Amino acid sequence: MKKWLYRDLPSWLLIVPSLLFFVVFHWQPIVSGFVLSFFETKGYNAVRFNGLQNYIDVISNSVFQQTLVNTFMYVIWSLIIGFLVPIVVAIMINEMANLQAFFKFSVYFPGMVPGVAAALLWTFMFDPGPGGLLNMLLAKLGLPMSQWLQNSHLTIPLIIVTMTWRSFGGTVILYLASLQGVNHELYEAAAIDGAGIRKRVRHITIPQISPIIGILLILQIIGVFQVLYEPLTMTEGGPNNSSMSLMLTSYHYAFRYFEAGRSLAVGVITFLILAVLTAVYFRIDKRANAD
Amino acid sequence: MRSRDSAGIIGKLDYKRPGVKALYAVLFAVLVLISLVCLLPPLWLLSSSVKDIKEFFAIPPTLIPHTFEFGKLADTWRELDFTRLYLNTLLLTAGTVVFSILFNGLLGYFLAVLKPSGSRIVFVLVLWTMLLPNTLGMVPIFKNIIDFPVLGINLTNSFLPMWMMAGSNAFYVLIFKGFFEGIPPALIDAAKIDGCTRLAIFFRIVVPLSVPVIMAITIFTVNAAWADFFWPYMVLKDNNMWTVIVAIFNMKTTASLDVQFIALAYAIIPPAILFLFFQKYIMQGFTFSGIRG
Repeated sequence: MKKWLYRDLPSWLLIVPSLLFFVVFHWQPIVSGFVLSFFETKGYNAVRFNGLQNYIDVISNSVFQQTLVNTFMYVIWSLIIGFLVPIVVAIMINEMANLQAFFKFSVYFPGMVPGVAAALLWTFMFDPGPGGLLNMLLAKLGLPMSQWLQNSHLTIPLIIVTMTWRSFGGTVILYLASLQGVNHELYEAAAIDGAGIRKRVRHITIPQISPIIGILLILQIIGVFQVLYEPLTMTEGGPNNSSMSLMLTSYHYAFRYFEAGRSLAVGVITFLILAVLTAVYFRIDKRANAD
Repeated sequence: MRSRDSAGIIGKLDYKRPGVKALYAVLFAVLVLISLVCLLPPLWLLSSSVKDIKEFFAIPPTLIPHTFEFGKLADTWRELDFTRLYLNTLLLTAGTVVFSILFNGLLGYFLAVLKPSGSRIVFVLVLWTMLLPNTLGMVPIFKNIIDFPVLGINLTNSFLPMWMMAGSNAFYVLIFKGFFEGIPPALIDAAKIDGCTRLAIFFRIVVPLSVPVIMAITIFTVNAAWADFFWPYMVLKDNNMWTVIVAIFNMKTTASLDVQFIALAYAIIPPAILFLFFQKYIMQGFTFSGIRG
């Protein structure tokens, strides 16, 4: 005991503030959030235990099914628009003998624009009237004007375009770092064996960077699944709930309708879906590595 | 940077073939186009900010301004009190950096160097904090902010919640831990023999040896704090406490469009300048710590 007092206690004292912050902002919230999702709430306090009632209320809400589908649509569109682009652009930039530094600068630059500012900037560009920048470009090309975000079929893809615009440059930089690490002798050997450029990309480049592709893929899915600020800033979930996401629903329950318990039920559901997605990914990844 | 003939997939020999030359030209053109898509929206915003009101609302909109009205820039600055908004953002950022480095650093030091009995549990908890998605946080964290546990104080309209969140960043803790594990134990033992306290070892030995990692985290934190939206928006309700980002979000419904453009330009210019000067460090820092971002 005395030994512990002299040897270990001072070390523990050093991290008291750090631990306090972790408890207040991470550990206690996740536990109490889970518990509170089974309670009827008033304000942000538990009133009485009501079992799965919050979950039933949330799931039986007429918009919930659409919200769930939307959230998956965000992920699917982000894979269509945002997954391949950074890989292709990184490979292209890596080939450039001229202006390589400029290209890196340009693609990373949108990442410096704060997320909310980027969302607002694109909202202005998507202005559905004739004064909108993109409608002007369409008019110049002789095409009809578009309703952009007001067209409920386009809302989610356009929000994904905005998110991709801002974040793909960072991903490009990560892929570039990985590409620079590819042993160049492999390309030379392949070239001597007569492998064309397409074959070299397929059989050397892609396999060499595939570990980081896998990591970034799962991080992208997890990140986009929790999409909140962009629809909050750009559409508030509209038009007609066509861009409502799970986290935005959770936000609305908590701070618009003051239904903390329901908000947390949505949070738990989102959490569980993400856990399943992650587990599936690791299962596939493991199997792929075993082959 | 490596020389041309070892840069990528296309080797020197390939360039003798005309098809490959054409391919290179096409790739180059595509990249120029992509660069335009990346740079034009912010440039359009900046150019629109200096147009006079008539040109601003002209249909169709102009890409390159014909009119310049700089008085409007000053008016918007004064009206929205950007001096205060910038100062608030600066204060928020400064505290965020200090908390990030100090408290995550100390925890990393605790896990990597001090390693008292029981520290393993802390490590596992921190690791899980990083791995678990944070979809349950909104309500309980807000509740803890408006009614701080045990103390019972309300931290609305204070920067402390954001600072404390920065001081508990699991990812930074693990980065610090990894870096500190590389410090030769002999250095720390020598300091111990000389009678240094644990805290003195941290500030005199560990921190000076960790300048690269501290730099990377600082740059990353500055950038993130400047752009931070959600918790500042939730916590800073008094407009005397608003940061730039909170202000531009809140005036979305109140200010006229041309004022919003100028305010948005003011929000984008500082990080853009930062990027122009520290481009290399920012991108390095991103490869270092950005996978989570």
